[in-house]
Amino acid sequence: MVPVNRILLNRRADISKHYNNMQLFSLTFLRILVGWHFLYEGLIKLYSSPAWSAQSYLMGSVGPFSPFFKAMANNPKLLIIINQINIWGLILIGISLFTGLFTKFFKIFAIAILLLYYFAYPPFHGLFINAPVEGSYWIVNKNLIEIAAIIVLFLFPTSHITGIIRFFQPKTRHHEN
Amino acid sequence: MKDQGNGVVRRDFLKGLIAIPFLGYFALRFKKSIEWEAESRRTDYVSLLGIDSLEAPKQKLPSYSNNSRIRIGLLGHGWRGEQLLQSFGFIHPDMVKQNIVNGKYSDWLKSFLSQGDLFVDFAGVCDTFEVHAQRGYETSTNDIRPGGGQGKTKAAKIFPTYREMIESPDIDAVVISTPDHWHAQMAIDAAKAGKHVFLEKPMTHSIEEAIDLRNTIKATGVVFQLGHENRQQMSFKIAKELYQKDVLGTVSMVQTFTNRNGLYGAWIRKRKFDDLGNSGNINWKEFLGNTPWYEFDPKRYFNWHRFSEYGTGFTGNDFSHQYDCVNQVLDLGIPESVVATGGQFYYKNHGDMPDVLNAIFNYPKRGLNMTYDGNLKNGIYRENYIMGSNAAMHLDLGIRLYKDDYSERYKNIKIDSTEPLYMYNGGTDVDAISSATSRAYIRGGYGATYIDGKVIDATYLHIKEWLDAIRNGTGTSCNIDEGFEESVTFNMANLSYVNKKQVLWDPVTEKITLI
Repeated sequence: MVPVNRILLNRRADISKHYNNMQLFSLTFLRILVGWHFLYEGLIKLYSSPAWSAQSYLMGSVGPFSPFFKAMANNPKLLIIINQINIWGLILIGISLFTGLFTKFFKIFAIAILLLYYFAYPPFHGLFINAPVEGSYWIVNKNLIEIAAIIVLFLFPTSHITGIIRFFQPKTRHHEN
Repeated sequence: MKDQGNGVVRRDFLKGLIAIPFLGYFALRFKKSIEWEAESRRTDYVSLLGIDSLEAPKQKLPSYSNNSRIRIGLLGHGWRGEQLLQSFGFIHPDMVKQNIVNGKYSDWLKSFLSQGDLFVDFAGVCDTFEVHAQRGYETSTNDIRPGGGQGKTKAAKIFPTYREMIESPDIDAVVISTPDHWHAQMAIDAAKAGKHVFLEKPMTHSIEEAIDLRNTIKATGVVFQLGHENRQQMSFKIAKELYQKDVLGTVSMVQTFTNRNGLYGAWIRKRKFDDLGNSGNINWKEFLGNTPWYEFDPKRYFNWHRFSEYGTGFTGNDFSHQYDCVNQVLDLGIPESVVATGGQFYYKNHGDMPDVLNAIFNYPKRGLNMTYDGNLKNGIYRENYIMGSNAAMHLDLGIRLYKDDYSERYKNIKIDSTEPLYMYNGGTDVDAISSATSRAYIRGGYGATYIDGKVIDATYLHIKEWLDAIRNGTGTSCNIDEGFEESVTFNMANLSYVNKKQVLWDPVTEKITLI
C-alpha cells in the first residue's frame, strides 16, 4: 500500500492505481453506460442502413458552423465516408468503452465525434426557431455533458483494472508488490 | 503473505469481468430492441418518395469572366433603396462609422466587405426628397465597400427628375425603388431609353400598366428583373423539385398568409429623416405624378403605402411576395377569377388600406383554389401551405412535408402525420433578428439563402443575376412574364375588394370583367 500522503505530495501520482472499490465501481459504471450508449447508437444506424444517412442531420445544421456541415451533406462522396465513420466509429467506441479495450484512443475519438455533433446543432440562443428539439438547452446540452463524462473517463481510466485489456497486460503491478 | 497476495490477484481478476453481465444482457437483447426501433427507420422514405437525389441543393453559383462595369442609377433612395444599395455594395459613411468600434470593424461590416464585388458604378441618384438624394450622393463617395479601398470612388450625380437620369448617357441601367404608382411609368420610360431595369415589387399599380410594361420590355429587349428576391431562396427551388417529382399528389389548395401586429407591420412608419421633410425640400408635384392633386401632406408622402392612389395595399406589399413564392413552385399563373373582402377596421386615420383582407383565387383548370388571409391585428406567423392528395407542404425558408393519413401511396410509411416526412431547414443566422416583422421576413425566405456551400443574401444574388444577365445575355428568374402574372393577380384582388365584386380575367383579350 502507498501512504495517502505520498500520493498527495506527488502531483504526478497516477491516481488510477489507487482507487477504492466504490470509486472504481462508479467510474467503470460510467464507462459502461457511455459505451452502451455509443454501441446502441452505432448498431441502430447499421441495422437501419442503407436508409440511414447523416445527410438530413447535416443539412439541418444551424448556427455559425452550419455552412461547414451543409457542405459535407452536399458532397456525395464525402457523405459515404461520413456515414461509415459514424456507423463504425460509434460501434467501435461503444465496444471499446463497454469492454475496456484500447480505450485511450477511442475516448479521444468519442470526444471528437461528440464535438462535431455539438457544433452541428449548438444550443446557442435563438437558433432553434424552426427545429423542434426535445428538452431545453442553453449552451449546455447532453452532448456537452457526455463530452465532459468522457474527459473524466480519460483522466480517470479504469480499463487496466476492470477492462478486458488487463488480461493482455503483464501484471507488473503485483510483481512490484 | 502469499495467501493474501493470491486473494488480491483473484479479486482483481474478477474486477476485470465486471462488464460481462452488462455486455451479456446487451448482446442478448439489443437486436430485439433495434428491430423494434429500426422498423420505422428502415423504411426508406426518401427513396420511396423518389427524392433521394435532389438536384436543387447541388446548384452551383454561376461565375462569368465578363465583369465589365455597369453604371447604375437609383430611382428612389428611401429605406428600400438604401437596402438595395447595400446589396449592390454601397453603404453610407454614417453606417461605416457606426460599425467601427475602437478602430475595429464590427462583424457586420466585415461580412459586408466580404460580400462579392458586383463591379458596378453607383453613377446617379434621384429622389423627390432632397435629404434622401443627398444621402445617396454621400453613399457613393464612401470607398469602404466590397471592391473599394482603391481611391477610385466616383461620386453619383444627383438628377432632379427621373427623366434626366434615363436620358443620361452616363447611366447603363436603373434600379427603381419608388412608391408603386411610379413603377410602371419609370420602367417603361427607362426601357424605351435603352436602360436595363431592376424594378422593386410590386410590379405595377394597375393591370393596364402591367400590360404596357410587359409590351415595352418585350419590344425593347432590355434586361428586366422584378425584385422578388425569394426567387433565389433554396427552399423554393427544392419545393419546386418536390412538386415536379409528384411528391404531393393532386394539389387542391394553396394557402398564403400575412399576419402582423403593430404600427411598423401595418406600414405606419416613421423613419429617421422624415422630420426633415417639408414642402421646400420635397418635390411634391413630382411625387404625385398623374395622381389626383392634394395639398402637401407629409403623411401621404412618407406613409404612401397606405394610400391607394400610390400604394397597392396588403396585396401589393406582401401577398405579391407570397404569391411569387408559390407561383415559382407550382407555376400557377393568373387565376380565372378572384373574390376579396375585408375592411379598414383599425388604423382608420391612415389612408384607405384595409387591415383585414381575405382573397380567394380560383384556378378551375388546375383544380385548385389559392387563398390569402391577411390581417394587421394578429402577428402570429404562418408559413404558406400547399395541400396535395398525398402530402401537404409547409413552405417558407424551410420545408416541412407531412403525409396525408388517407394517402394510398404513403400508406406503408409508418410515420405519424404530425411528424414531417421530409424536412429542409434553410436555417441561416436568425439569432440577430429581433422584431416580429423582421423575423417573419427572414422566415419567409427574403433574407439569406444557402447555396453552393455558402450562406448568401438573397437580394445580392437576385441583383447579381440581373447584372450577369446584362453582361452575358443570360436570363433573369423573375422576368417580365413572372412579373406580369404577379401584378395581374394581386391587382385583381384589389379590384375585387374595392368594387365588392368578383373579378374575372380573360387571358385572350387580357381584360377583366366585374360581376
